[in-house]
Amino acid sequence: MSVDPTIHLRRASEQQKPVDGRAFKRLIEASLTWLRTNQQIVNSLNVFPVPDGDTGTNMVLTMQAAFDEINGSNEHNFGKMAHDAAHGALMGARGNSGVILSQIWRGFARAVDNNPTLDVPMLIQALASARDTAYKGVVRPVEGTILTVIKDVAAAAAEMLAEAGAPEAVGLISLLERMVEAANSSVLHTPELLPVLKEAGVVDSGGKGLFFILEGMLRHIDGLPLDTALSTVMPLASMALENTLEAIEPGQDYEVVVDFRPYEELDLIHFYSNLEDMGTSIQLGEGDGMYRLHIHVPTEKLYRPIDYARTLGTVTKVAIENLIDQVEAQAETCGEEKISLSPIEAGQNAVIAVAPGLGIGRVFASLGVAGIVEGGQTMNPSTQEIIHAFENLPTDKIIILPNNKNIILTARAAADLTVKKVAVIPSRSVPQGLAAMMRLIPDGDFDSVVSEMTGALDDVETGEITIATRSVEIDGVQVQEGQIIALHNGKLMLSATSLEEACLGLLEKAHADHFELITLFYGANLPKTEAFRIADVIRLNYANQEIEVQEGCQPHYQFIISIE
Amino acid sequence: MNIAIVTDSTADLPPDLSEQYQIAVIPNLIMMGGDTLMDGVDISRQEFYERLPWIDPPPTTATASPGAYTDIYSRLLRQGAEYILSIHPPAALSGILNAASSAAQAFGDRVRVVDSRQVTLGLGFQVLAAARAIRQGANLEHVLRLLQEMHSRVRVVAMLDTLEYVRRSGRVSWARARLGNLLQIKPFIELNDGSVSSLGESRTRNKGSQRLKEFLYRLGKLEQLAILHTNAETEARQFLEELQLNLPSTPLIINVTTVIGNHVGPNGLGFAAVIA
Repeated sequence: MSVDPTIHLRRASEQQKPVDGRAFKRLIEASLTWLRTNQQIVNSLNVFPVPDGDTGTNMVLTMQAAFDEINGSNEHNFGKMAHDAAHGALMGARGNSGVILSQIWRGFARAVDNNPTLDVPMLIQALASARDTAYKGVVRPVEGTILTVIKDVAAAAAEMLAEAGAPEAVGLISLLERMVEAANSSVLHTPELLPVLKEAGVVDSGGKGLFFILEGMLRHIDGLPLDTALSTVMPLASMALENTLEAIEPGQDYEVVVDFRPYEELDLIHFYSNLEDMGTSIQLGEGDGMYRLHIHVPTEKLYRPIDYARTLGTVTKVAIENLIDQVEAQAETCGEEKISLSPIEAGQNAVIAVAPGLGIGRVFASLGVAGIVEGGQTMNPSTQEIIHAFENLPTDKIIILPNNKNIILTARAAADLTVKKVAVIPSRSVPQGLAAMMRLIPDGDFDSVVSEMTGALDDVETGEITIATRSVEIDGVQVQEGQIIALHNGKLMLSATSLEEACLGLLEKAHADHFELITLFYGANLPKTEAFRIADVIRLNYANQEIEVQEGCQPHYQFIISIE
Repeated sequence: MNIAIVTDSTADLPPDLSEQYQIAVIPNLIMMGGDTLMDGVDISRQEFYERLPWIDPPPTTATASPGAYTDIYSRLLRQGAEYILSIHPPAALSGILNAASSAAQAFGDRVRVVDSRQVTLGLGFQVLAAARAIRQGANLEHVLRLLQEMHSRVRVVAMLDTLEYVRRSGRVSWARARLGNLLQIKPFIELNDGSVSSLGESRTRNKGSQRLKEFLYRLGKLEQLAILHTNAETEARQFLEELQLNLPSTPLIINVTTVIGNHVGPNGLGFAAVIA
């Protein structure tokens, strides 16, 4: 890779500086910033068209936690700084990608130990250690993911040393450059290893996140900007608009989406820099002869993106939403009441359940859980948040119900970080978690109860109704972004144009007529009257089954359905 | 040795069995709608369960007075008994043991009041075991030891329609702590050696019935079994039919005493078992 001469000179000078604790802190900050800048790109790579725990957001939050841990520190020792950052990442890890990333840092820190500065042999060892720890942390490692990328990066680094013959012949920065290249190739190769990526036409999101983390460090060394995204445009179908509510930057009041047909080829760099003057959370999607621009703006700049688009082409559609109102509306429908939990007696088996919504939390509370962790808008709590829920309970027999496949790893990470005896029941959905709760015997033998609860997971079928966040074909089902989709036990079943159609279609596919009880948990975005109306329609079609409706208050999913 | 046996109506002994073994059964009392009725005598169980959900204020139960026990002890001793064994449910669950103990004081060593640690046929099976042992010539010490040894082998498990009645009874502290069920559930409770514990829940009657069978099979070889219900006879019969067990005799199907029924509610289904 040919390097711009100014960068070459800069690198030569940077190379002289020792990489100590403070340098590490700056590198972590650079990684974090670059990853955050490209967060939406990573989010848009999620294959599955559901608004669940975006990889980009989870990895940013995990890196943020790592950085927060060392931000105030002036530690000179590289190893110590690395350990602290790894600890921060561990506690703040969210989602599967966040947890694996934290394991990468943990392995890295373990190898650099207490060393005051970083050198080439140490870095190569640390990469191998990072790889090993990451692989060990996953029960069934899958190739074509972030695991493969760290593996390839570690291999490329070792290869570079082998080629050079002696550590003195390799510069740290050249090594980093090789690592970034290796990460890039590895990411591009992931569709060859993971068929579902190929089918969806994307690379692995976690791997891409890791690439940005490494690239951020190199850009920092090269003095390149970290806060402007590369001027890219993505396919319309990949625009990840659903989750922009999670992190509304302060000062932004409206979400503006403008579709327009350009008069001529867009100058992307000019285009982006103009938009950056107006607002944040900028995305540009390209469709058939048209562009869709998405941006968050403050009230006083409300119409500027529209006026700007009009100078570039014919505006065909405009959508404006009041951001604060959207978020507040969601909070209103489900009330602010704190959930009261029944007290746990000393030494009893205590269950911690992750609840995606306040209503679901209340249902778990009524069944006797000792603690609830709210999933939040991202639907992914951190390791720390889970630990916090049980560390002060007067018992050390803890059972965790993650109730989401993206939270199982985080729960296991929490289990590893405490002296309490913790069992994680691998519940992949709320209905599974509730079925497991049925088997809780507070005074029973811990291991038998855990075994019983785990066995109960298969007692129930799970249905989920949501809106597709991308257009994709998966498992033979064709889905358009914005359509209503139904999942059965986590598998995409069908797409529909109405909620009713989606629910009835799902129930049919799940053979609900062979079961006895259908429970509908309706989400925060669905008015109660609408939920009850749909329940009535279902009752007409399933006269032999009992239909129960509960307020779930979960975001993103109009319905979570249990069939048993 | 001439040992007479006294128990109370919570033992749920079918009249023919108590007659056959000459067991004296003291009826407990139900207060409802302003009337005081004797359990099993003045009101049939079926009638009670049918009326239960609609009675306001809810019925209350009471033990027979110590006087009733004094009377029966005197009578039995006059009729020639050397000793009397008075076997009853645990004090934590009812005042019956206290009433019997108060009455027994006047008779010194000749009346022994025994806490069976059980209710319904959990108690009933112990009473029958004592009666049989006496028939075969066992002395008092022997019978007391037998009863003691039985405690760990007797289980009563029930699937209830709702936890509401248990909560209302106030006798089970953890039921009070549960915060009102948002989901329809069928709770399971177990009575083992004097204490009532939760065995989890089921969402549907069918699953619940399956689970009840699992609980039963897990006990292993059984000496005695009775299927218990509170006004759910058809279901109880079906449950028994579906069971695959080797038993010495056909299990009894019992509509449980109103005294207990008041605390668990109608539509309950369960079993009392003695493990071999």
